[in-house]
Amino acid sequence: MTKAIHFLPDEETHEATRLLPYVMAVMVYLSALALMGSMMLNKGFGDMTESLSNRLTIQITTADAEMRNAQVDEVTALLRKTPGIDYVRKLNDVEIEKLLEPWLGKGNVTDDLPVPAILDVTVSRDLTLNLDAVRGMLAQVSDNIHLDDHQQWLGRFLRLMDMVEYTALGILLLVVLATICIVIFGTKAGMAENREIIAVMHHLGAQDSMIARAYQSRFMKYGLKGGIIGLVLAFITLVSLIYLSRDLAEGLVRIPELPVVEIAVLLVIPFLAALISMLTARYTVLQGLGRMV
Amino acid sequence: MIHFENVGMRYGMGSEVLKDISFNLKPGSLHFLTGPSGAGKTSLLKLMYLAHRPSRGKITMFREDMAGAARKDLPKFRRKIGVVFQDFRLLDHLTAVENVALPLWIAGGKGAVIEEHVEELLTWVGLKGRMKARPPTLSGGEKQRVAIARAVIKRPDLLLADEPTGNVDPAIAKRIMHLFVELNKLGTTTVIATHDMGLVEEVKADRLHLSDGILQLIKAGQSLPETTSFDPAEFETTSLDQNEYGPLGYDGEDDQ
Repeated sequence: MTKAIHFLPDEETHEATRLLPYVMAVMVYLSALALMGSMMLNKGFGDMTESLSNRLTIQITTADAEMRNAQVDEVTALLRKTPGIDYVRKLNDVEIEKLLEPWLGKGNVTDDLPVPAILDVTVSRDLTLNLDAVRGMLAQVSDNIHLDDHQQWLGRFLRLMDMVEYTALGILLLVVLATICIVIFGTKAGMAENREIIAVMHHLGAQDSMIARAYQSRFMKYGLKGGIIGLVLAFITLVSLIYLSRDLAEGLVRIPELPVVEIAVLLVIPFLAALISMLTARYTVLQGLGRMV
Repeated sequence: MIHFENVGMRYGMGSEVLKDISFNLKPGSLHFLTGPSGAGKTSLLKLMYLAHRPSRGKITMFREDMAGAARKDLPKFRRKIGVVFQDFRLLDHLTAVENVALPLWIAGGKGAVIEEHVEELLTWVGLKGRMKARPPTLSGGEKQRVAIARAVIKRPDLLLADEPTGNVDPAIAKRIMHLFVELNKLGTTTVIATHDMGLVEEVKADRLHLSDGILQLIKAGQSLPETTSFDPAEFETTSLDQNEYGPLGYDGEDDQ
């Protein structure tokens, strides 16, 4: 005889809850995707804002090439003398052509196209640069010189980043709530199916906690099984999406890297699913039994 | 052991199925519970095995008030009671051994000890070759014997049996009755609900007779009085060893 008697029938014969691990798998799949997507975008946005946070871009749009080159030299010299600016570099034709390629197509950047000169400026992290003063200084050279500190763009970007994170969090909360509801329904259905067995166990002197343990252990297994299936499917989906989008969006959008360490944290999801299922089942069973004689 | 005082019971909002039930069963006594179908025998047993609460009145068992006992305290009292259900109520997915072992396992018994006790008892009730069989593959009589073995495996303080010999042949019925009488001699208070008047006559124990929800005590060897009125003050029972009929007229012979 085995050490413990499994007084609940096998899962396979348990009509009410047989499909539950697969429903749990779907729930974990959705929540894992939401979390992974949020993590990836967060990492990607973070890298992007980091790379732009101490950079200025100066465009010189003067139509006459000779005059434009002269203004480039003058502005470069002025900026190099300005405290708070570490580095000034003019983008060469190849770099500018590469920037325009996604919009104009390869080989369509011809010599007769009025392409502005672009200066890439790195600002010191240690000193504060007075951007208004720099703008004034550039305006004295020419009205065709435009300074972009990326702040407007970065502000929108950060708002988008927040929105994406809150949306992912909202999806996660909804999925957790739906999971809890499913476990409650499953537990109640399982109890209804085994009503006679529970009654017999009570008559033989079983305490509620003993019956609850049988259910919580069963639902913990469902959660773990569903969690592992869901997480594996989510990983496969994510990797496939990254692979496919790299081909499709090359040059237009930078596909964020998979943040390996953060993603590894997601390995706890199946255990969380198991824990949520276990605690929900235990609470539901004890509540249900409490209403019996 | 069991004291009922003006106990009434109804299911939901229905009419009372048991009315003003009062009796006192001494520890170690054996009683038959008789009465026509629908008289309330199973309902009375349900009150005794704590599956239902009375609508009114007072029930004292094991020196404790059961009518008002907290739900969390009931398991410890239920473990002192063995019940043979009319419909057996075995767990179909468990083997005969596991079904019988359940009360011991619930009480925290250890695997090897449980197995030894259970196999010994199943052998005694004639199910040596059916230990690993599951209830759906057992005959009615075999199921009944498993149910009885489950009820007595822990040597309960109180044994309640609802038609325990209803599905077995006379030889097995006699053997089962012998088991009950032996348990009773060891101190188990026993109440057996039955329609089998031959059995009642043979064992010579007092009867609790229910009719239309009203209870009467009939002393062993006496027949049902014509009037249904009775005096609760006289309604106290005695154990078999103490009653006027002396030793049981039952030899426990194995007729199998």
